[in-house]
Amino acid sequence: MTIRKSLVLALGTLALAACQPATDSSEQAANTNGADTSAASTSFTVDVSYHTLDNGLRVVLSEDHTVPTATVAVYYGVGFRNEPRGRTGFAHLFEHLMFQGSRNLPHGAFDRLIYGSGGVNNGSTRYDFTNYFEVVPSNALEAIIWAEADRMGQPNLDESQLDNQREVVRNEVFVNVINQPYGGWIWIDLPMVANENWHNAHNFYGDLTDLDAASLEDAQAFFDQFYAPNNAVIVVAGDIDKDETLGWIEQYFSYIEAGDPLPEIDTSEPRQEEEKFDYIEDNLANQPALAVGYHMPERGTPEYYAMILIDQLLVQGDDSRLTQSLVAEEGYASGVFGGINLLGNAFNYSGPMLWTVGLIHDSEFTVSEVMGTMDTTIEGIRTTPVTEAELERARTKLLSDFYGTVDTSTRFGLVDLLASFAMFDDDPSRINRITEGFEQVTPELVMSTAQEYLRPTNRTVLEVRLAGDDSQ
Amino acid sequence: MTVKLFSAALAAASLIAAPSVAQINEQPALGEPVSFTVPDNRSFTLDNGMEVTFIQYGLAPTTQISLRVRAGNIDDGSQTYISDLTASMMEEGSNGRTAEDIATEIASMGGELGVGVGWHSTNFGVNVLSQYAPDAMGIVADVVMRPNFDEAEFDRVSQNMVRDVSVSRAQPGPIATEAYRRLLFGGGHPYGNSLPTEEQVRGYELADVQAFYDGNFGAGRTRLYVAGRFDEAAMEAAIREAFSDWASGSADALTPAAPNGGPIVQFIDRPGAPQSTLRVGFPAVGVDHPDAPDLAVMNALLGGSFTSRLTRNLREDKGYTYSPGSGVTWGMGGGYWTFNADVITEVTGAALMETFGEITRLSENAPDAVEADGIRTWMSGIFILQNASTGGIIGQLNFRDLYDLPDDYLENYVPSLNAVTNDDISRVASTYLDLDNVVLVVVGDLAVIEEQVRALPELANARFILPAPTDAEH
Repeated sequence: MTIRKSLVLALGTLALAACQPATDSSEQAANTNGADTSAASTSFTVDVSYHTLDNGLRVVLSEDHTVPTATVAVYYGVGFRNEPRGRTGFAHLFEHLMFQGSRNLPHGAFDRLIYGSGGVNNGSTRYDFTNYFEVVPSNALEAIIWAEADRMGQPNLDESQLDNQREVVRNEVFVNVINQPYGGWIWIDLPMVANENWHNAHNFYGDLTDLDAASLEDAQAFFDQFYAPNNAVIVVAGDIDKDETLGWIEQYFSYIEAGDPLPEIDTSEPRQEEEKFDYIEDNLANQPALAVGYHMPERGTPEYYAMILIDQLLVQGDDSRLTQSLVAEEGYASGVFGGINLLGNAFNYSGPMLWTVGLIHDSEFTVSEVMGTMDTTIEGIRTTPVTEAELERARTKLLSDFYGTVDTSTRFGLVDLLASFAMFDDDPSRINRITEGFEQVTPELVMSTAQEYLRPTNRTVLEVRLAGDDSQ
Repeated sequence: MTVKLFSAALAAASLIAAPSVAQINEQPALGEPVSFTVPDNRSFTLDNGMEVTFIQYGLAPTTQISLRVRAGNIDDGSQTYISDLTASMMEEGSNGRTAEDIATEIASMGGELGVGVGWHSTNFGVNVLSQYAPDAMGIVADVVMRPNFDEAEFDRVSQNMVRDVSVSRAQPGPIATEAYRRLLFGGGHPYGNSLPTEEQVRGYELADVQAFYDGNFGAGRTRLYVAGRFDEAAMEAAIREAFSDWASGSADALTPAAPNGGPIVQFIDRPGAPQSTLRVGFPAVGVDHPDAPDLAVMNALLGGSFTSRLTRNLREDKGYTYSPGSGVTWGMGGGYWTFNADVITEVTGAALMETFGEITRLSENAPDAVEADGIRTWMSGIFILQNASTGGIIGQLNFRDLYDLPDDYLENYVPSLNAVTNDDISRVASTYLDLDNVVLVVVGDLAVIEEQVRALPELANARFILPAPTDAEH
């Protein structure tokens, strides 16, 4: 694919991060699905050890000494899916507050500690978790563990910091969504149309009036409910001594008491029975765009693994069928993009999810022309078995993506998978068995999965129309 | 959740004694700083002049191939983006393969061909499972040496560029950058032309692409980097077989350009915009100048890190912006420093006032040791990360090679940062960030912001450029 100078298609991916988005969160945002499929890959195994403290904090450690740095990530089991009604965007606003100081690290001191030791940090809010992560030269590891414990145990939730970060978040929404063409169509607007359950269908970045209404009392209640050690996972990876690291985690986190059981929240979606259509007018856009979202099979089922392969077959990479038909053959667009969980990957969520395809196309092509080609391509998957060779190619792409995710300088991709498998599956060692689900996917399962989940009646089509264009 | 500092039950269960208050409330000391060495690499040159560098690096059995031809936007001449169009056509097939053939073959190896054009080079990259790396090298060689340049693909590829440029021009960032670069370099050098017009692109023909390729591609202008876990003997054999008969090509005729200063302010109207998009810049020197490390440290302290003064002031104190940042851009013949931010419309003037104030403060007073040491330590740590991936180390080595910097440039980089004194930081701010020389672009709702900006005393002597009235207004 051509690496374009203007990262139009990367639009939403960096959003909802607390710090400077352009510098250190790109790996976090990459939409990458991982799988290990062949015997050739067995030479590569991720070191994993897993522990739980008495207060419920889950601990994942992974040691490798290729680079003299350590990566620390704390994942809390709360995302925008379970933020309170009337407080849309609160999970993300709260993420910002967690950077604003704690008992022993007053405002600014946390960042100064990380940067002053030679590291970087960031955080992000996603459907089912909020994470805080940093990578530092390994000599700073103990201090960083101490610092993460300080803000889990004793954060300063402060009115003036709330007001300041409310303004920062307002700026974030402006710069990522409101003052950008195609700002939120595919990752904010599409789920709002496609989903029925409020938890999945509200504005994750937040209505600005809700952000204005958020109070310090809300923040304290939110913290008390969700930011307890028994709702968190800490991952430490890299140039570490595992026993020493576990000792530090016990030393600094053990005093924090477990919280009350979490509220039961029903996030389920009904089976979609009718195709949905909607459009938004984008005053800033100068080319129309189209997003299509299909409800995914439940995470962990055989159909889910088949859908991950279908994603590879249809939209990932220049060889994918939709790229070939929409871009190479018809020339409707410069590229087509999409995937499972646009704000993450196929593994780091728990609940209903969309598989999404999007493109920005020329005005001279009508929506029905573009949809016609898309339908023909997708019907091919639904009605004709894929060849073993094409399926194997999809597995190979997944394997290569997996390596790309876990073998990076910051190790953010590695710790994200470890944290997700700990948080959602209680089994971080799944990272070394990530292949199993894919090996069992047959051409028949691909077709039957497509029959049910790529039904037109399981999808939502969202158009981006140009302002004042009522021709459609 | 309540916090109890002495929770007997928890402490008893842990492997260690109950933590004391001091253990919880006192920050552990940082250990001895870690040292870092540049990953081992070896280079050789083919008879036709192509330079090859191997780097064994990483954990996973993958290999990254990055072939960089010294043919970029700087070679566009007056045909802005002709290098990009050439690169896009090179993706469309080679040596009898179609684009789909290439995509399918490389996907079977776990990779994807990525082609990108920068100021100075066209980059061809693939990252594949290591057992396929020699085969992937053969495909890359075909792509760069034997492009099909099929007329049947040309209109679609050209239309893609028209569409992409059009979408860029709808975004405030690219709009601001286009105007900013034009102010710095004028329209006579490619550095000053960050986007082509639609008419320009529609005027290009396949013959222009062929001419650009013939004039700029060849082994003598190519560097190939291979990084990952791979069999070096097999890889070297594959490279020699694939590239040895490639012609050296035309001599390199790089045209340097030094940026212009101000004071100058360009307004671009975006009625109703909730934010103003700012570019605040000054000409500086090139990366080979003795002040380059000083500029880098000054930049990190002033606006180039999350703990920088401008980020703390504009974001963490004032809440004016989300992602402010600054950087030094190195070019051939000079460099420039830029601060960029998207600020709430109503505070545009106030944000610029704070920005100018921070520049002046740093120019007049050296930072204290705590602040400056923190920045130097940060840059040393970041340098580890910048080198700690196959793509990262390739980028670092290519930067050194492109600017013809000393072989030990990377080894000396951290020592060069630590040699920058606190007074040096202030000195280069004073020398280069001279407000009488400022180049400023403001993209926003002029009805609200124009007066705020004009009222700033630092801009009293500036020349102001306003948008030309549109036809619709006549």
